[in-house]
Amino acid sequence: MNKIKNTTSMIGHMIYFVRLMFSISPVFVILELIYGLLLRVPGRLISVLGMKYIIDVVESGENLERIWIGVGVIAAILVISHLLSWLYMEFYWNIAKEKLSAGLCKKLYEKAREIDLEEYDNPDFYNNFILTIETSADNIQNLLGFVRNYFTEFVTFFTIGAVIFTIDPICLLIIVVTVIVFLPFSGIVGNLHMGRRKDNAELHHRSDYFQRIFYLQDYAKEVRMNNISPLLINRYNEAADAVIENQNKYWKKISFFSGLQETGIDVLGLMFVLPAYLGYCVLLKHNIGAGDFVASFNGAYQIAISIEFLTVTALMVFSERGKMIEKYREFLACTPKIKGGEETASCEKPETIEIRNLSFTYPGSDHPVLKNINLTIKPYEKIALVGYNGAGKTTLTNLLLRLYEASDGEILIGGKNIKDVTLESHKNRFAAVFQDFQTYACTIGENVALDVNPDKDRVTQALKHSGFSKSLKNGVDTEILREFDESGTMLSGGESQKMAVSRAFYKDCPYAILDEPSANLDPIAEYELNKTMLEAAEHKTVIFISHRLSTTVGADKIYVMADGEIIESGSHAELMEKNGTYAYMFNLQAEKYRQDNKQNS
Amino acid sequence: MRYIKLQKEKAPVVKNVVWALKLILKTDKRLPMSALLMQFSSSFFHVYVKNILFLKTLLTVIDSRGDFSQYIKYLLMFLAVSVLCEALSWYGSYVNYSSVKVVLKKLNNLIFRKALSLDVANYEDPQFYDKYQRATDITDRGYFHILCNSVASIFGTVFSLILVIITVIQVNPLYLLFTLPSTAVFAVELAKSRKLYKRDLAMTGNERVKAYIKRTVFLREYSKDMRTSNIFLVMMKRFEAAVKTNIMIYKEYGFPLFIYSTVSSFFSEFLPTVGTYALAGGQFIYTDTMTISAFSVVISSINSVNRAANSLVSAFNNISQLALYFSNLREFFDYEPGVNSGEEIPGEFESLEFRNVSFRYLGAETDSLKNVSFTLNKGEKLAVVGLNGAGKTTLVKLMMRFYDPTEGEILYNGRNIKEFDIEKYRLLFGAVFQDYKNFALSVNENVICRVCDDSDRAFAEEAMKNSGAWDKISTLPDKGETVLTKEFDKNGVGLSGGENQKLSTARLFAHDFEIAVLDEPSSALDPVAEYKMYDNLVRATEGKSVVYISHRLSSAVLSDRIIVLDGGSIAERGNHTELLALGGIYAEMFNHQAEAYGKAEVG
Repeated sequence: MNKIKNTTSMIGHMIYFVRLMFSISPVFVILELIYGLLLRVPGRLISVLGMKYIIDVVESGENLERIWIGVGVIAAILVISHLLSWLYMEFYWNIAKEKLSAGLCKKLYEKAREIDLEEYDNPDFYNNFILTIETSADNIQNLLGFVRNYFTEFVTFFTIGAVIFTIDPICLLIIVVTVIVFLPFSGIVGNLHMGRRKDNAELHHRSDYFQRIFYLQDYAKEVRMNNISPLLINRYNEAADAVIENQNKYWKKISFFSGLQETGIDVLGLMFVLPAYLGYCVLLKHNIGAGDFVASFNGAYQIAISIEFLTVTALMVFSERGKMIEKYREFLACTPKIKGGEETASCEKPETIEIRNLSFTYPGSDHPVLKNINLTIKPYEKIALVGYNGAGKTTLTNLLLRLYEASDGEILIGGKNIKDVTLESHKNRFAAVFQDFQTYACTIGENVALDVNPDKDRVTQALKHSGFSKSLKNGVDTEILREFDESGTMLSGGESQKMAVSRAFYKDCPYAILDEPSANLDPIAEYELNKTMLEAAEHKTVIFISHRLSTTVGADKIYVMADGEIIESGSHAELMEKNGTYAYMFNLQAEKYRQDNKQNS
Repeated sequence: MRYIKLQKEKAPVVKNVVWALKLILKTDKRLPMSALLMQFSSSFFHVYVKNILFLKTLLTVIDSRGDFSQYIKYLLMFLAVSVLCEALSWYGSYVNYSSVKVVLKKLNNLIFRKALSLDVANYEDPQFYDKYQRATDITDRGYFHILCNSVASIFGTVFSLILVIITVIQVNPLYLLFTLPSTAVFAVELAKSRKLYKRDLAMTGNERVKAYIKRTVFLREYSKDMRTSNIFLVMMKRFEAAVKTNIMIYKEYGFPLFIYSTVSSFFSEFLPTVGTYALAGGQFIYTDTMTISAFSVVISSINSVNRAANSLVSAFNNISQLALYFSNLREFFDYEPGVNSGEEIPGEFESLEFRNVSFRYLGAETDSLKNVSFTLNKGEKLAVVGLNGAGKTTLVKLMMRFYDPTEGEILYNGRNIKEFDIEKYRLLFGAVFQDYKNFALSVNENVICRVCDDSDRAFAEEAMKNSGAWDKISTLPDKGETVLTKEFDKNGVGLSGGENQKLSTARLFAHDFEIAVLDEPSSALDPVAEYKMYDNLVRATEGKSVVYISHRLSSAVLSDRIIVLDGGSIAERGNHTELLALGGIYAEMFNHQAEAYGKAEVG
């Protein structure tokens, strides 16, 4: 019962898919079906009817010249069907497919960008959903080929079936019965394959991991410095042995059942029962001629193949691909929880940012990351967030950027709740440099602007401010990374960091957020950055997160966070005076330098 | 099949295939043998028996209006032969598919052992890495399996083709004029596939762009930029451009491919079908030499020859593409480590000396280290300091013999380190790398680095207590037996950066080492965690000789000696006080850092 229900929903998915394709490119869908008919059906009909026609003429013994008509018809059909189908394939199909695939991808990409970031933190959603879509995004249109084949086989079954039926209905009955009796084995084989693939995937996952360790550069040093490789090889072999055992177990059954099915249909049915019946008709009953014998015999194979395709193969494809379409459908139907408002945010100059009673808990966790945060940031202020790992500093900036939705409380900018403005305009007023900043395989200008058509002068200026000093052969248009340009420029950790920081300088917006902007810099570069940062961002409100407390000294106000709360705030001097957590942390880092200063003085 | 980069010199296909088959034979003979069995029984049965012989025999009886019992006897004979063929091919496929994973395992073992014998330097050489990548494609994608089956299919096909030709000749050799050219299509098809390959090659750049863009759109690491900036538009602009160029390439190749396809269709479908029908028709009309069963033979042979031609085309195509992969595997196996093991067993540590050491990375234009000399004595603590890219990490890599110096020598207790057994030599070091790695093994195995017995477990616990990792590990339900990462254990545990680092440090405590090499963790840690970690490292190495790679200067202050690298050479050396007094790079770096902290003191 369940299986049938499943099947109907899968058919529903296939229909959805065809309609989706049809909506993107109706001409392509129709042409595909015609193509299937043109390429396959004439050849099959010739193999059944061509021989029959000629044998019939020969057997009749009259007007043998009629054979030339048959030959002429065959020649004409072949010329037309081949020419048309190759014209279609080489001049239309490839291009239509590329366009269709691009159309589908764009639909998915737009959606992916909308999905709430919190979904990415959910491993189930991320692994089973986003990553599946990623791998299948442009493959999905291959299903159109399956739809085409289905249609072709359907037509084949009815035309050739009709031919055989007119010769002798019992022949058709024999073929259909044999196929129906033995076809279930094919279903068993399909299930076994599915089970094998599933088990193997799990086992391979394990062996692949160990294989990766030897392959990946990251592990090369570690593996050579310890004696751990025998253990790793041992683990690989254990996993590989499990795969071997699994493979044996399944293939024993698979080759048996698929052999049984093939022997049943091809050998017992089509090479014994059917020809025996036909022989009986021709030799004893004399109600069938040699031409009909050949046509029924050749047609039987075609029909058997068609039936198998229309039932077992189709079911397997339905259930495998159907799942893919189901995911695809679900993905496109996702609606983000974070929605923008109606108003357009002002992007002119900084206004006061007010955070009121803000709390946040990650979905699926019962431990709040932020608890009742209150703070006010005045225009042009330079704010530092410091504190322990996991204190909630980055989360706070994520909420400000509306990457997550606060569980409680609100954020106001210029007295207006940030939920009331459009996401686009809210995004435009912030420049963000993340701790895990990314470098993109595009020009350095685009990397700095994170936008199309970067302003060259401003990019140069921004790079200068961040202390980026690498010489670039094509200036701002230099391609970064070797992703697709062998001569692309590679940046070291320090240079990438400087490039990322210059994003905050480039963007013409009132607020900048910098998360650990000097983490990868050496002391001298860090010092330079500290100096330029304040002047380059003079006309902005700046919020930065840092573990190196020497960089926070110049901030207008420092907020110390611990366990989701702000435990201290004030200027550097005030906090040192207070002699609390900030002073403790600062002293830990300053200890060496101070001792030394004393020694020197 | 995925296409690969076109290589300038054409790979000698036959030589590589023979090499590959020998390699596979060495791992498990059953795979190629079963492939032959499968291909022979199936081409014999499908191409010859079922397609030609069967119909011919039956029609002979029918045409002559023969005896029905004779007819049934023939049917029974064919039934027996067919069942036998089927049984052989089941058995073949069973053996084939079960031995495939055995070959996989053995090939991978060969690859691992080779990889382990090679240098870290190889991993940094893109050419080597490319080869390694393709070598793993052979196992990951089962290319060795495709190769075996393709070679076997050539033998099987040629065998059945000969049988078909003999049968047709018995009817009338003239028919071969129409059917045999379809085997020549083989040449057209190969030319076409070369054209296709060229087309795909022209598109690889665009496909890479598309794949990259897909990654940036879907992967977590890019998700924040996608939402807070317009980088999405940059990506879509490139996506559109890639699609547009692809379409142009399709258009450019449309006409030549159309010609190839049409010519191929002409020889494989039109000529054999129309020619055979016409010749047979002529024989029927104008002579009395043609029978219905002979007619069935010549018509069926069109299909058989076509089938044979198709399998030849795909087999040759597969083989010529796979040959390139195997030539890569072969070159991978031919790599020799540049860093070779000596035989001496190193004794207790007394001194380690760099004498005029210079080093240049392969293909680089400048030296990464220039004429570096220094000595580390027993019990000494040495700090190596410098700006980003000054050569600190390179120095450590040379010390551990991941590379050998381009010039100069490194001496351990006065003897060149090349003289020592490399594994034993490396075990002298206890290293904590900045990019330390833990494995998806149990916690204990990560610390001890082998399968653990009870005494190992106790020892691991001790080491973790020393490194501070035990605080966290003791709270886990399975303690030291907990598997790290959720990679393939649902109950596996993912540790935070700090905890992972403590676990790596436990490895240091668990091993008897002579020299500790500490690549300091960068600033992902908060000040308190950083302080504690530093404290841990100091305790782990108490009384030992230590080399610190310092990014911050805190550890330099306490070390016995500091060397400052600048552009690959030692710019300054001395202890902290001396270097401050010198007023050079070190003093500048230190003062920049100290300034902020110093200001605070004043304030």
